[in-house]
Amino acid sequence: MSESARSFFFAVALCVVCSVLLTAASTGLQRRQEHNMRLEKQRNVLKAVGLIVAGKPLVESQIEKLYKEKIKTFWVTPEGELVDAKKHAGTDLPLYVRLEDRTIHTYAVPVESDGLWGKIYGYLALENDGATVAGFTVFQHSETPGLGGEIEKEWFQKEWIGKKIVDKDGNFISIRIARGEAGEAVPERMRPHTVDGISGATLTGRYLTAGIRETLESYEPVSIRFRKNMIGVP
Amino acid sequence: MTPAPVQALRKSRSYKAVARALWEANPISKQILGICSALAVTVQLKTALVMSIALTFVVAFSSLIISLMRRAMPRNIRIMVEVSVIATLVILADEFLRAFMYDVSRQLSVFVGLIITNCIVLGRAEGYALSNPPCKSFVDGLANGIGYGSVLMGVAFLRELLGSGKLFGYPVIPAFFYEAGYLDNGLMRLAPGAFIIIGLFVWLEHTLLSRKKGR
Amino acid sequence: MENLISIAVNSIFVGNILLAYFLGMCSFVAISKNMKTAAGLGVAVIFVLTVTTPVNWLIYRFLLAPGALAWAGFPEVNLSYLKLVLFIATIAAMVQALEMVIDRYSPALYVSLGVFLPLITVNCAILGVSLFMVERAYTFPETAVFGASSGMGWALAIIAMSAIQKKLRYADVPEGLQGFAINMITTGLMAIGFMLFAGISM
Repeated sequence: MSESARSFFFAVALCVVCSVLLTAASTGLQRRQEHNMRLEKQRNVLKAVGLIVAGKPLVESQIEKLYKEKIKTFWVTPEGELVDAKKHAGTDLPLYVRLEDRTIHTYAVPVESDGLWGKIYGYLALENDGATVAGFTVFQHSETPGLGGEIEKEWFQKEWIGKKIVDKDGNFISIRIARGEAGEAVPERMRPHTVDGISGATLTGRYLTAGIRETLESYEPVSIRFRKNMIGVP
Repeated sequence: MTPAPVQALRKSRSYKAVARALWEANPISKQILGICSALAVTVQLKTALVMSIALTFVVAFSSLIISLMRRAMPRNIRIMVEVSVIATLVILADEFLRAFMYDVSRQLSVFVGLIITNCIVLGRAEGYALSNPPCKSFVDGLANGIGYGSVLMGVAFLRELLGSGKLFGYPVIPAFFYEAGYLDNGLMRLAPGAFIIIGLFVWLEHTLLSRKKGR
Repeated sequence: MENLISIAVNSIFVGNILLAYFLGMCSFVAISKNMKTAAGLGVAVIFVLTVTTPVNWLIYRFLLAPGALAWAGFPEVNLSYLKLVLFIATIAAMVQALEMVIDRYSPALYVSLGVFLPLITVNCAILGVSLFMVERAYTFPETAVFGASSGMGWALAIIAMSAIQKKLRYADVPEGLQGFAINMITTGLMAIGFMLFAGISM
């Protein structure tokens, strides 16, 4: 066999072996990887709606059980109506609802915001009055550790609880992240809508503020219904 | 007196090879080449440890496999063969991390993938495994991986300790230090901290080695 | 537009692939001694990044990403685990092709850039940028800007470094600190300098 034919066959054989190996590994592990992702998502939804308290981590089976018991996924139509997960249309938005005694206790919306370095993914939960923030979590981001990366920390996320997305007259305001600590610099009437920023991470805050506003705006139809108490479990 | 077996061990070839890889020709400072990407994961010890293990796995097994194939392999396509073997191993490592250590793999993000272009791995395959038997190549790869890993861990130790006051995520700086006005050094958490620590490491190593030679 | 400008500013200065993400250190350490070669390599990196990153984006979008093969009738297939191999192959092929094209049409450019092109295939900055582009889910225009400006950032860093090294030759550096050690510390200080741009926003 000539030298180049030998090289060619060697290369082909190597490629076949490598691709078989990789495909086997990838398909074999895919189940587990997807399981991990699903679990991470469930953990974050549960945290946002206040079912997981910081400092008390749950094991896998507990998370799955809790999620199955308390959380139900609905889809929101552009008019703000809830539809069952099986019957949703392409333009509908997902909504994760915490049920207590068959009534909606809190609802979480997925947040996908631009960040300084990449997308920030998380959940923002609102109480059933459609106005008060019940929790905020970030589960994926690529911000600078120690600066913008602090958005994944407990102290920052705790700030959000109890803030209002509407003012006293019911006008939509959204939530703003202040530049550094929200103190005297923030006017009195804006304080219920402002959380303390992270010093040194003004840009991350600005991006996240915009992302949160965009998300909340797209969910306004359903939030308005919650505020008017016009919503029930379908 | 050192016991006889230990002396015999010290004289053996593989001991010398391991010692060389671990100390005198330590990848990060002497073989400079492979420094790339890996520094980015030295903010925390945990990520650095996982990265070191992944890297050691890839270097050791790529050396082993390439050494096994060294007679059958046509010379003119050897670089391609080496890169394919390394890439396959890296992807395997990445997939495994994502399946079994999801948390850490998210923090390592693209840097596991970048092991492919880490010059150490290809360097060991080209420079050692091609001309040595499988067993020795495996040990060589292992030692190089561990040597490289130890530098990563060293950098990560200082960066996590000084930058966040923690080791492996556990706070180690007592609270009264903070009360007395001690502050974590934020610079250590950022990229420049790694560069400066590496510089200081190399300085220390140079000084120690030249003193050893002087005597 | 605003978004594109801020990606450009970020990847040239604050998130410089070399100074903030440690990518492309090998060639950086080896080549930065001479300003002329540093500039040559810098230009070559800009060139290659500008071309390969968008190409890799197309490959990822239409071949590898989950659901990307829907146009071929396989919406279920997810080949994203092959991205490493395919990106490397694209980079190697693109560099080779570039080399031939430059050789054919601009011999003068080939003489000055030619030697650097093969070096670039093993530069982790090139692969790194492609992987980041996937990780950060950039759109096509964003990817094009990100690739080109990352290259510019890298070139800027290596040229600045070679200039500093030129000056350092006259400095009285302690013995053990000479060479690699002082280069690393200089790079660290440079990285701090580049971070000052963090306050700039468009």
